[in-house]
Amino acid sequence: MPDTHFYRYDDYDRALVGERVEQFRDQVRRRIAGELTEEQFKPLRLTNGLYLQLHAYMLRIAIPYGTLSSRQLRKLAEIARRYDRGYGHFTTRQNLQLHWIRLEDAPDALAMLAEVDMHAMQTSGNVVRNVTADHFAGAAADEIEDPRIWCEIVRQWSTLHPEFSFLPRKFKIAITGSPNDRAAVRVHDVGLRLWKNPQGEVGFEVIVGGGLGRTPMIGKTLREFLPRDELLAYLEATLRVYNRYGRRDNLFKARIKILVHEIGAEKMREEVEAEYAATRHGALKLASETIEAITRQFAPPPLRPRRTRVPEVEALKLENRAFALWLKSNVAPHRVPGHAIVTASLKPAGAPPGDASAAQMEGMADIAEAWSQGELRVSHEQNLVFPHVAIESLPAVWRALERLGFAEANIGKITDIIACPGLDYCGLANARSIPVAQSISTHFASLTRQHDIGDLKIKISGCINACGHHHVGHIGILGVDKNGVELYQISIGGDVDFGRTALGTILGPAVEADRVVEAVDALVATYLGARAEGERFVDTCRRIGAQPFKESVYGNS
Amino acid sequence: MEIPEEVPLPPEVPTLVLANTEDVLKLGERLDGVRLIILDFPKFTDGRAYTQARLLRERLGYTGELRASGAVLIDQLPFLLRCGFDSFASAQKGFGEALAKARTLFSVVYQPTGDGRATANDLRLGRRNAVAA
Amino acid sequence: MAKNLSGDLQVASANRLVDGLVVYLDDAGQWTPRLDRAALARDTSESAVLLERARAEAFTVVDPFLVAVTEDDDGTIEPLSLREKIRAAGLTFDAIASEAIRYA
Repeated sequence: MPDTHFYRYDDYDRALVGERVEQFRDQVRRRIAGELTEEQFKPLRLTNGLYLQLHAYMLRIAIPYGTLSSRQLRKLAEIARRYDRGYGHFTTRQNLQLHWIRLEDAPDALAMLAEVDMHAMQTSGNVVRNVTADHFAGAAADEIEDPRIWCEIVRQWSTLHPEFSFLPRKFKIAITGSPNDRAAVRVHDVGLRLWKNPQGEVGFEVIVGGGLGRTPMIGKTLREFLPRDELLAYLEATLRVYNRYGRRDNLFKARIKILVHEIGAEKMREEVEAEYAATRHGALKLASETIEAITRQFAPPPLRPRRTRVPEVEALKLENRAFALWLKSNVAPHRVPGHAIVTASLKPAGAPPGDASAAQMEGMADIAEAWSQGELRVSHEQNLVFPHVAIESLPAVWRALERLGFAEANIGKITDIIACPGLDYCGLANARSIPVAQSISTHFASLTRQHDIGDLKIKISGCINACGHHHVGHIGILGVDKNGVELYQISIGGDVDFGRTALGTILGPAVEADRVVEAVDALVATYLGARAEGERFVDTCRRIGAQPFKESVYGNS
Repeated sequence: MEIPEEVPLPPEVPTLVLANTEDVLKLGERLDGVRLIILDFPKFTDGRAYTQARLLRERLGYTGELRASGAVLIDQLPFLLRCGFDSFASAQKGFGEALAKARTLFSVVYQPTGDGRATANDLRLGRRNAVAA
Repeated sequence: MAKNLSGDLQVASANRLVDGLVVYLDDAGQWTPRLDRAALARDTSESAVLLERARAEAFTVVDPFLVAVTEDDDGTIEPLSLREKIRAAGLTFDAIASEAIRYA
């Protein structure tokens, strides 16, 4: 593997992934031969990332801490072409989904993934899932420490963990290394926030029991400050308490957030601390050499400071409005002067959000190789990020993205919609979400209008499982089914940025699909009419409350 | 689930049969002299006995026979073995052959358990120290 | 065209084991991707029999179940629910083609 600026597999990691593929190959053979029932096989295929959906099996490929090399992205394109219908969908948990996989091809697809040190282990099932991080990790100016080091440490510890492979329910962990939480740590089963205490030591705030879905909850702080080398001991204690006491009688009450809610944060802390007292001095304590060895692998690329004011960029900014707007919305500051973090929008107007064709994936790999140190990230908002772009290269990157249709200047704007796959793909859904996203994004396509409206995050879920994170959308849209008709419930004021976590307020009865666009229009109009100087949509919601918005959609009644 | 013939229940051996809801840390004297503990998997998706097994072996130092019973399937063997189970009551076809292969299915493990296997990190440290020496 | 909306009409459906393809049980007891070839049960007792037959043929499919359908005057069958319509007919929008570099 060519040098990457993130964890490189050694022969131990490769052996494990390879052996897992062969184990699964045998399990598939036994299933097809009828030696395993579907009931026996289902957890085995789920823990290899394979769901059975409406039309086909879906393979959810893990992209640990959302970090990809161009070589890996090219392999994903090859797999999409060879074993799927030539496109993939980037998810809100930094994974890639292929929606048309054949069971009999899955072992070969996984073997191909293993060639580039990738896998689909534990992206589904009642196990610890892909540990997500801040998608600007290692590049953002406000970072205390790169969270991906810890994501990798937790990834290894949780992979094929013999005690925790049959949990009451799935378990999702997120880590942020920045005070601006781009990883939504407070709505995860365990959220970890790296911070520096007054003594100058870096440790974790441990937050437990957050989550969206049927019963959205914000996590409770279990531990204010945990020394880094004790992370695994603490996680093992937490998972052990959950494995023992998490509910197994009711699928909808089985997450750790319900346990915390039912016994209380104080009791939860007691139980975890008691178990942790027994684990902390044992084999789970991380040797400093282990931490250092992994930290070294995440050493940032050797970027030297460059010009921050580049004549070509300034000129293009003046002569091309689209480029100027793109600089504003899609380009973020980098810790090294003369560089930037570029978000490529996978939300072209009218397109299914977060999808990329095999050809587009290859185009993105080319851009990463030429201008971003061979690296990309998957954001939590179904976009792709080039983390290390020299400002001088911005015009070239923009032009290359334009050719791919990924240069829309809409990051964080109203057409940068997050939508789950919905009823078009998913067996759990009550309603479709993609066509709703398409209609909204077509309606608001004008860049001028979008930038005038400003930051506005719409999140759409096709069912109460909330994979679209609608609870924390500035505008949240939830698809429901009433007597066979698709209806959409609208909420406002949700938020999950900048350390703030708030759940949206439902405005009124669900509306039909063809009323959604006009409802969003009404909400935008209300905001534009009421906003104070520099106030975003979500800030205005907070200030004036839901009533004016409610009235604009439903009238005075 | 029936216990197959090859693994008879030996009534003369001091035996403890535990529900998977029992807190093994509270067993106290009930553990004294016990040479066979049978743990239960009411459904194979119910993983509580894995924790019971590890606590018995690693926290309480139990060295007798530890048997998995109930819904015990081939594909759980690598996990069961690592958690300290050493006998199995399973009626699943092919279980015996699978047991023979299960220990070597994975040449690498990431996390330490009471089975004493060196983890990948242990091996990496050893390798690094060997190079440095 | 008048449609039979009583909900009594059922077909048996499943996903094929090897590839996840949506299939329906036909009169010969084979699984076909073609809804127009599906065996039709016209009342509750016929439905029970159909489901039993589907389960008996379940070696090559996953979890067969009954789907309520409508039948119009010229015999065209369509599922009642949106989910089943989508299962039968596919995505309701155009997915991007593998070699496309822009969404159409």
